[in-house]
Amino acid sequence: MIMKRIAAAGAALVLVLALTAAEDVTAVVGARVLTGTGVEIENGTVLIEGGRIKAVGKAGEVPVPAGARVVDAAGRVITPGLVDSHSHLGLGPSGGVTEDNETSNPVTPELRIVDSIHPEGEGPDEFQFRRALAEGVTTVVARPGSGNVIGGQSAVLKLRGGTVDDMVILFPADMKMALGRKGAYAAKGVMPTTKMGAAYLVRKALVEAAEYGQALERYDGEKAKNPKAAPPARDLGKEALLKVVRREIPVHIHVSSSDDIMTAVRLADEFKFLRLSLGHAVEAYKVAGELARRGVIVVVGPQMTAYDDEGRLVNLAGYLADKGVPVDIMTDADVVQQSFLRYQAAVAVKYGMDPRQALRSITLNPARTMGLEGRIGSLEPGKDADLVVFDGDPFDVATRALTVFIDGRVVFEAGKESK
Amino acid sequence: MKGGAQMKRACTAILFAALTAGMGLIGADKPLVIRGGRVVPVSGPEIADGAVLIEGGKIVAIGKADEVSVPAGAEVFDAKGGWILPGLVECLASIGLGDRYGAGEGDEVSDPVTAGLRILDGLDPFDKRFEQAARAGTTTLMIAPGRANVIGARTVVVKPRGATAEEMVLLEPAGVKLTLGEGPKAAFGAKGRLPGTRMGSAYVVRKALLDASEYARKRKDHEVAVAAAKGKKGAVPPPAPPRSLDLEPLADLLDGKLTAFVECHRADDIRTALRLVDEFRFRAVLVGATEAYKSAGEIAKRGIPVVVGAMGIGSKRVETKDVSLANAAVLVKAGIKTAIAAEDALGLGAQEELALSAGLAVKGGLDRATALRAVTLTAAEILGVGARVGSLEPGKDADVVVLSGDPFDYRTRVVRVFIDGRAVRVPEPLRSPRP
Repeated sequence: MIMKRIAAAGAALVLVLALTAAEDVTAVVGARVLTGTGVEIENGTVLIEGGRIKAVGKAGEVPVPAGARVVDAAGRVITPGLVDSHSHLGLGPSGGVTEDNETSNPVTPELRIVDSIHPEGEGPDEFQFRRALAEGVTTVVARPGSGNVIGGQSAVLKLRGGTVDDMVILFPADMKMALGRKGAYAAKGVMPTTKMGAAYLVRKALVEAAEYGQALERYDGEKAKNPKAAPPARDLGKEALLKVVRREIPVHIHVSSSDDIMTAVRLADEFKFLRLSLGHAVEAYKVAGELARRGVIVVVGPQMTAYDDEGRLVNLAGYLADKGVPVDIMTDADVVQQSFLRYQAAVAVKYGMDPRQALRSITLNPARTMGLEGRIGSLEPGKDADLVVFDGDPFDVATRALTVFIDGRVVFEAGKESK
Repeated sequence: MKGGAQMKRACTAILFAALTAGMGLIGADKPLVIRGGRVVPVSGPEIADGAVLIEGGKIVAIGKADEVSVPAGAEVFDAKGGWILPGLVECLASIGLGDRYGAGEGDEVSDPVTAGLRILDGLDPFDKRFEQAARAGTTTLMIAPGRANVIGARTVVVKPRGATAEEMVLLEPAGVKLTLGEGPKAAFGAKGRLPGTRMGSAYVVRKALLDASEYARKRKDHEVAVAAAKGKKGAVPPPAPPRSLDLEPLADLLDGKLTAFVECHRADDIRTALRLVDEFRFRAVLVGATEAYKSAGEIAKRGIPVVVGAMGIGSKRVETKDVSLANAAVLVKAGIKTAIAAEDALGLGAQEELALSAGLAVKGGLDRATALRAVTLTAAEILGVGARVGSLEPGKDADVVVLSGDPFDYRTRVVRVFIDGRAVRVPEPLRSPRP
């Protein structure tokens, strides 16, 4: 009797589990699936379970479990949720007072971008998160501005949740720096008034952080022998930079001209950065071979084309990709609105970039830049179920996002949006 | 028909010879036939397999490929299945007014009212962005001051070719630029000067126009007195009133000789513009007009054209935050003559991507033909140069763009651009061999 009861309870439990599992399974079927890895599947199925991608494949090859919620996406196009690897979303409009540049000191590694982000935005910045989501952007790298040589710590956010803490999926994501002459400080007569001044400030800060690390290590050793040993005074800036020195986080550097680009490379070589990504880097095409050889990532945008000294048009992203440089494409929101990320890539395609490569530049490549390629950026089993159902070619200006999923949950549905 | 066309051809050839002599261009051009593609004249129905005949820098004929005769010695350009369109017309640009990132030449910020100034006198023909715009298919642009002055310099309509401002000019002065809203507040109010408020800007305009109407009245009285004196023997014409360079353009505005291009974005600024038009009865075009869709009925009632500027690509300012892709569609539906300008932004907002900006308006509900017209013929008409450019019609300037396909398709590239029948030099893009 008791055994029977336990068996019945067990059966009920199994049933409940099965029901929850089935309810938790979503199958998006019938669409052309662009996985972000370069693979395209006609009439594909994306199976989502527990907020993750369970399977991706052709209709016949991915069985849809009974009880699964089925989303008919026949004739639609599915891409991974778009990822912008350089954004200032939630930090105020670039025309007004912004929260991303603490211009009282050129070296501020201690600052954390999460402490400045307003998820709802204010004034002209209002609703930008929701607008971006409605255009298929699911993840952004929020960065300090480029007013300082060392700006602070970046964060990777998913565009869901009501507070920054709900949104953050990686922090600190990397250290933001900027090379080139800094107008704000030059005007005050404070270093850096030259490019070499900026490079010096970076080297000095990293050397000091390394020494701080050594002091911490010495303290750890002494503590074992003498429990009363005094720890070195805590230094928030050095503590943050130590993560760079110890190759725990990568570095992102704002640069423009080819000489500043090579200074960034020189710093990366000297301090053995875990990974270096360059933001904007308009003249990267002039030193593309050097960057390709070292695997330096270039995050192209918001400017997508330039003209070289002979007046030839340079498709910045396409040219670098052809040279073998890892390329991300950014909006630099809100220099270009966050919601326009896929059109930034469209401009690169217009001037000859391979469309699959362009899609990767706003999905898997930025995920790699942030070290999150195991979690986001492509439609592969085990990854977060962040995906977008478009009503056509995602690069076409007429195309709309119909449904956006983050972690398997529908976070946007066309026609059901509230302002 | 044929004889007429020949006469026209002869006349235009003579006219063009005179013009080229004036512009310092050397050599006579051979006739040119562009064919092998879909001709979209904008002013009329599309011609699937069409041709455009150009002589002396003017369009002589358009029609089906087998109906347009190729004159002896003519050059033939094969569009290879592409689209043959009129050159695009940009209604609001600041090209030639100093480096984008340097000190601009467009805003004389010493005074909120600078109608006496001419953009012509600050224009740099060697600004590379002219060439870049031309290569991207924009063959006519209005260059206007920025948004610092309440009443700024007189604008000029140019073609992006020539070594001097005079060679570039299509229409000068093209109009007077006014700005309401945040621009003047930031430029002057921040320094503690008038206008620091929206009502301050409106006052500045009203005061200037009242002074101008007084000036216009004196000018008129003088003209009448001179005319009267002419008829009478021994009568001495009265001395002319002192000339004011500042008031003259505004008096011209009130006399209907000039157009005011009024930049305003927020709905309340748009209503202020309408209030000023109602009071002073001048010819106006609303420019930028981010929230025009909120006042479409009121704008339509007055027959005021609109140049939709912000498509919401670049950073939003406090006054452009309510931007809507549906703006142009709503205005057109209300019967308003609507042009579309490229947004001053990067990526899709760059000058080179004007056609894609219009494509965004299509996404916002505007029909494709009207969207194309909004960056060609409607734009030209609003700028006052619709008789010269903006469509492919016999007698018009031979400003022709050959595209590889649909202008609203992001994959479409510019194949060739002709201004006055002459090909714009387009260097090959920088390419790298794939590794």
